[in-house]
Amino acid sequence: MSRERLQQLAINDQGFVFDPSTGEAYTVNPTGLFILRKLQQQLSVKEIADQMKEEFDQLPEDLVRDIHDFREHLQTFKLV
Amino acid sequence: MKRLKVGLSGINNVDNPGPGVGIARSIREDKTLNAEIIGLAYDAMEPGIYMDWLIDKSFMMPYPSGDPESYLERLLHIKKSHGLDIVIPNLDAELPFYIKYQDRLRDLGIMTFLPDIKQFKLRGKDRLADIAKTTGLTLPETRLVNTVEDLSDAAAELNFPLMVKGVFYKAKKATTLNEAISHFHYIAAEWGYPVLLQEVVSGDELNVIALGSGTGETMAMVGIKKLWITELGKIWTGVTVKNHRMLEATETFINTYQWKGPLELECMVDGDTIYLIEINPRFPAWSYFATGVGVNLPSIMIRKLLDKKIPAKADYEAGKLFIRYTYELITEMDLFQNMVTQGET
Repeated sequence: MSRERLQQLAINDQGFVFDPSTGEAYTVNPTGLFILRKLQQQLSVKEIADQMKEEFDQLPEDLVRDIHDFREHLQTFKLV
Repeated sequence: MKRLKVGLSGINNVDNPGPGVGIARSIREDKTLNAEIIGLAYDAMEPGIYMDWLIDKSFMMPYPSGDPESYLERLLHIKKSHGLDIVIPNLDAELPFYIKYQDRLRDLGIMTFLPDIKQFKLRGKDRLADIAKTTGLTLPETRLVNTVEDLSDAAAELNFPLMVKGVFYKAKKATTLNEAISHFHYIAAEWGYPVLLQEVVSGDELNVIALGSGTGETMAMVGIKKLWITELGKIWTGVTVKNHRMLEATETFINTYQWKGPLELECMVDGDTIYLIEINPRFPAWSYFATGVGVNLPSIMIRKLLDKKIPAKADYEAGKLFIRYTYELITEMDLFQNMVTQGET
């Protein structure tokens, strides 16, 4: 169910996220947008962290933990 | 070419708007119907009477709760004096009349597309438990009560706040036993017994508008979420959604009960739980929303009645917004005078 919801999310380049099954709308910053799209591609947290290191400068040391936190945040909305 | 004359009620586009104006607009958008829209009004101040770009002519009607023969006579007068091929009744108070007399109206040359009386009673709130079971939805904890003693016992089980509901219409929220008793008497006096007590459920308000063929087919449907409602609980802003469980529940309902005509399925969605709140056997006031996203249910209904070609089942996109707004119309007194003195424009 949650994987299905994640796949269905409509996400635009400005970070506007719309869930077509509930009508809920969210906004995410560029980092959140990157992670969300990678989660839709079913990448693991480690794989996402590796790709972020290639894409972004000045990442926090505890990047993996931050991604886990973000994922948990999505879980509270039942999106993953 | 002779124009199709479609009568519709609910042209009271006020703070608690009737569905008529949105339906008129939908019918207008199907130009091949070549329809003339006739407003059936109960008050000379109903705004639809004055919206001449949507409604061509209006007639005053007697109240449907009065003598049915007078009501039939009025429809027949409109038929003879002006022409009336189809009537789309849009107000709750009219539905028992139109459902009861639909065969007689057909014999008089006035078509309707409505459920039969058995189907109409089916969506009474005392029957929602059966429907919830059939459709896989959840019914909020509900008790049927016939006396104040029943009510006190049920209230103790359900806890406050709770909803006090009429078997077909009216719902009031009660936060104390005294308030619940007052609502109980008020609703029983208007709508009879039993009265329902129901737990208050929270969540997002999701609705579906649909049209049943009468032979089990869902001819069209659109799901929406109410984003912003007025103090009267009426939608002001909404968004289309595709909640598959709710859409499937609608199809199951239409198929199981061979529903004929328009309907609005009202639900509250709390996470994975979808509560069934009620089923209205008519178009809702926001029905133009469906037309605006490509699903013109009034047009499909008329085409079905006329045995005209119906376009392939229309789909819609989730994420389309509905914004209601207010508008002012300035006009001469003529129409108002005609409605008051002659009962028609």
